[in-house]
Amino acid sequence: MLKVSHLTKKFGELVAVNDLSFHVAKGQIYGIAGPNGAGKSTIYNLITGNYPFEGEILFDGESIAGMPPHKIAQMGISRTFQVPETFSSLTVEQSVAVGAHFGDTDLFDPQRVDEIITFLELEADRDRMAGELNLLGNKKVMIGAALGTRPKMLLLDEPMAGSNANEIRALMALIRRINVEMGVTIIIIEHFMKVLTELTDKLLIIESGTRIAEGDPDKVTSDPEVIECYLGQAYAEDN
Amino acid sequence: MSATMALVFGIMAVLPLFVGGTAHMMHILIMCLIWAVVASCWDLIMGFAGIFSFGQVAFFVIGAYASAIFSIQLGIHPLAAMVLAGLVTAAAGVLVGLPCMRLKGAYIALVTFAVHMILEPFLKSGMGRALGTGGTRGILTIPPMELFGITFAADNKIAVFYAALALAVICSAIIMLVIRSSWGTAFLALKDSQDFAASLGVSAFKYKLAVFALTSFLTGLVGGFYAHYIGMLSTRLLGIDLFVMLMIMLVLGGIGQFPGAILGAIMTVIGNEMLAPLGAYRPLVLGALVVVLVLLLPDGIMGLLRSLVPHKVAEQVRQG
Repeated sequence: MLKVSHLTKKFGELVAVNDLSFHVAKGQIYGIAGPNGAGKSTIYNLITGNYPFEGEILFDGESIAGMPPHKIAQMGISRTFQVPETFSSLTVEQSVAVGAHFGDTDLFDPQRVDEIITFLELEADRDRMAGELNLLGNKKVMIGAALGTRPKMLLLDEPMAGSNANEIRALMALIRRINVEMGVTIIIIEHFMKVLTELTDKLLIIESGTRIAEGDPDKVTSDPEVIECYLGQAYAEDN
Repeated sequence: MSATMALVFGIMAVLPLFVGGTAHMMHILIMCLIWAVVASCWDLIMGFAGIFSFGQVAFFVIGAYASAIFSIQLGIHPLAAMVLAGLVTAAAGVLVGLPCMRLKGAYIALVTFAVHMILEPFLKSGMGRALGTGGTRGILTIPPMELFGITFAADNKIAVFYAALALAVICSAIIMLVIRSSWGTAFLALKDSQDFAASLGVSAFKYKLAVFALTSFLTGLVGGFYAHYIGMLSTRLLGIDLFVMLMIMLVLGGIGQFPGAILGAIMTVIGNEMLAPLGAYRPLVLGALVVVLVLLLPDGIMGLLRSLVPHKVAEQVRQG
């Protein structure tokens, strides 16, 4: 579904992503992890058209090079942000409707907004201003707006950041439901390895924009090179 | 929103019954309506779309000069000249908006204010004179609009007033419809978070350029109306006074609180006239009043009204 080949991005002298290749199959939950500054979010910014890049990104066989972010959203790739983005001037319902109205190329269907609000259990908050919600609420609204676009692929950028154990469990269940019930292929960037090993079908570890390991999450997390450059010996001993 | 607008314009519509015999009062009411449209356009681009455009007065002047030139130089009927002036101003708005697509916040303010600053020397230059701007002298004999046997000139202020009222109602209705439409949602989404909005399929380029074009068109149209009403134009309009007055209208009404800009324009124009006896102290008192109002009412008069009205009623008012 998504084929990234020899992806490279330089910011001046800094090589943020270095000759990276990976493939995400339809229906997968694909994880990306690595130390801070490894280039994880940059990969999302390249896939979603925020920066020009070297290499090739094919989505459903079509190159997305040079496409603006809104066109890529309309193609079926939607994303969330590490720091939750909300529309403080809009209500929860209106925020979800932004995705449904502009990202979905089909005619706007208000019923879809209702379905997403119900799916996310946001009924009680639908008329509240999006900026008034707590962190979990903000994340749900951000995901809801992304789902409004009727995405084929959803890119989640550290969805668990700042969440407590209960919220992490709720978000994990939600991600699974989006994948299974809505049939959305998911890429997830995350630091919580337990989340990645439990959720993902395939895991990519990068450092300095370069691939360290890729494959079955359990195998990847026991890879000596991954332990040395990212997870640390303590993680290996605990697991 | 529409209820407030209907109330304000409804009250305005009956005022000539009481002050119609006083030419100066009618002139003030006409100017209230003209500035109400300009301030509302500014509110749409700045308050709703979040684009810090400081080119609104420049667009007004472009529209006024363009309409005057079309009617004088080409002999076009003033009404058609006004529409053409609106289109010329919209084109100017798009030209100004294009470089702004790559800029944010204060940089857009700088670019658009630069257009304001450049306009005066341009209108006075040889190129401006060649176009018919009259250079430093300005344009002195702009024909009034004549329609259905009525001359909408400065000596027929009641007719001009109702034409201005019709224009203000039409322009305000357009602005209200835009705010309520998917365009309005796109503007707000882009204002709150452009990256998030773009990731949801909102084209920042399309909607930002569209708001430049629309607000410039309406402002240029009203600029044309002003030119044919006053009958003369000079670059004095580009002085800082009008710019500051418009900003006061916007702040007083409430930025992003449409139709607050209409209320702000009416209150500012009338307040400014009431302070006339203060002479040279007028700007000082007006400035001090604005500082106090901004501190007390950060969302302007409209924000205050919305906070006073119970939430459910406010929602009904908002929905019309």
